[in-house]
Amino acid sequence: MTSTKRGATGPAVAFRDVVKVYHPHITALDDVSFDIQPGETVALLGPNGAGKSTAIDTMLGLRTPTSGEVRILGGSPAAAVGAGQIGGMLQTGGLPEGAKVGELAGLFRELYRDRRSTGELLALAGIAGLADRRVEQLSGGQTQRVRFALALAGNPELLFLDEPTAALDVAARRHFWRSVETIAAQGTTVLFATHYLDEADANASRIIVLNHGRVVADGTPARIKAFTAIRTLRFTTPAPDPSELLRLPGVSDVVVNGDAVTVRTGDADGTLPALYALGRQIKAMEVGGGGLEEALIALTSADNGGVKEGVS
Amino acid sequence: MTAFLRFEIMRSLRNVRFVVFIAGFPVLLYLIYAKQAGTFQGLTVAAVLMVSMAVWSGMGSAMFATGPQLAKERQNGWMRQLRVSPISAPRWFAAKVSQGLLLIIPGFVLLILLGFGYGHVHLAASRLAVFAVVLVLGVIPFCVLGLVIGLVFDGQTAQVAQMLTMLVLAFLGGIFIPYDHLPHVMQDIGKALPSYHLVQLGWNAVGGRPLGMAHVLALAAWAAALGLIVVWRWRQESTTA
Repeated sequence: MTSTKRGATGPAVAFRDVVKVYHPHITALDDVSFDIQPGETVALLGPNGAGKSTAIDTMLGLRTPTSGEVRILGGSPAAAVGAGQIGGMLQTGGLPEGAKVGELAGLFRELYRDRRSTGELLALAGIAGLADRRVEQLSGGQTQRVRFALALAGNPELLFLDEPTAALDVAARRHFWRSVETIAAQGTTVLFATHYLDEADANASRIIVLNHGRVVADGTPARIKAFTAIRTLRFTTPAPDPSELLRLPGVSDVVVNGDAVTVRTGDADGTLPALYALGRQIKAMEVGGGGLEEALIALTSADNGGVKEGVS
Repeated sequence: MTAFLRFEIMRSLRNVRFVVFIAGFPVLLYLIYAKQAGTFQGLTVAAVLMVSMAVWSGMGSAMFATGPQLAKERQNGWMRQLRVSPISAPRWFAAKVSQGLLLIIPGFVLLILLGFGYGHVHLAASRLAVFAVVLVLGVIPFCVLGLVIGLVFDGQTAQVAQMLTMLVLAFLGGIFIPYDHLPHVMQDIGKALPSYHLVQLGWNAVGGRPLGMAHVLALAAWAAALGLIVVWRWRQESTTA
């Protein structure tokens, strides 16, 4: 109810050298460290299998790290869960058969000692009209929003959302992120996982990029997005000269293999006219990239294992 | 915990399969068989069957509250959602067992009414009270057994496991067939089962005989042993996950 969530100082989430190995020898988290400060809205971005869900499960106390330390609001994840300080919307989550939406929300209000009414809670999640509906009668998107309402019960200090918009249509997505914004404005720290760069960009003030269980980038959306401007140009030209190509605007690296050339550029719009202006014969031009995958390749291939501190 | 208990009971009572199971099935059997002539353990068939069917209904409600439902909710992720909420594991267990105990009430009341009204059973209020207490405390091991099934089996398998367990407990425990008609080997196995001890306690209570400490101890031992399995499985699931 208040915007001053807690008196204690220190990070809301402290993730220190966390390793999680599933048997047999699958490393889901490979020495991951980051802090999240109170009030931040952070996106955990990465492709499927990057370790996002494992990271969130660890913070919620659902999994124990193989090594390293996870502290939530200064204590253990279990303590924070027990105190009702955190809300979690998990990636998969059925609802219990036979229950009505209003009963479920009411139950969670009581478990978390939330002073808001069930109606307010449902309205915040955009499902005010569903209170009398049985959970078996809900659509996928409605189920997702009920789970969102449950995560909001108790007005948590820290909210974890694991791929929260997967089953939502465009309008529901918009409403969803507006609600998250409202909650964040009240002082709740939000951490959400997504594999959509656009979603992270639009809704987070900071993006942590995970790939193969490692943090490959951690910065503002603008910084992370700069990496997605990278395009790969593939073409053939007789007797290519790498040094000539490297001097073209925006080009960061050139690979030559016979007549075939691969050029990576951060400014394709500048590179292409300059390339044609060289007067060479250019054939079979292909422009690739721009997605998260491409950004991840750029991020992971950057020197010294990422761009945490470096310039882009 | 009371909020959780109320929530669980509300949704159980909406489950048609459950209501048929705890009420429909034993009532039907009672209507078919209660009018037979004869006595058993010094009781009329109507009285014996009233006890058997109340025990069957009680076992079923106790196990239903926990067994297949729990298995399903472990699978669909609901249990994970609960583990992220402030309800602690001991409170959750207490609520689940209470749910099992409270849900035996409808079946019990129904069978007593049938026994009195349809079967013309005459029973002193004191004996009825003893039987009620026996049943409520006696189904505790079955609540715990349901938890074991729910924690060991997954989804659909748990339903099959529960049905099979119920049938074995009922037949070998002497609930469906008079005990003396069973082959000796089966009698020996049956005498170890909690269902045998519970139905014996029920007949003793209704017949006004001493309850028999051995039966009480056997049920307590079952509850304790099954409880250990529950704790073990629960820890296993929350640490290796």
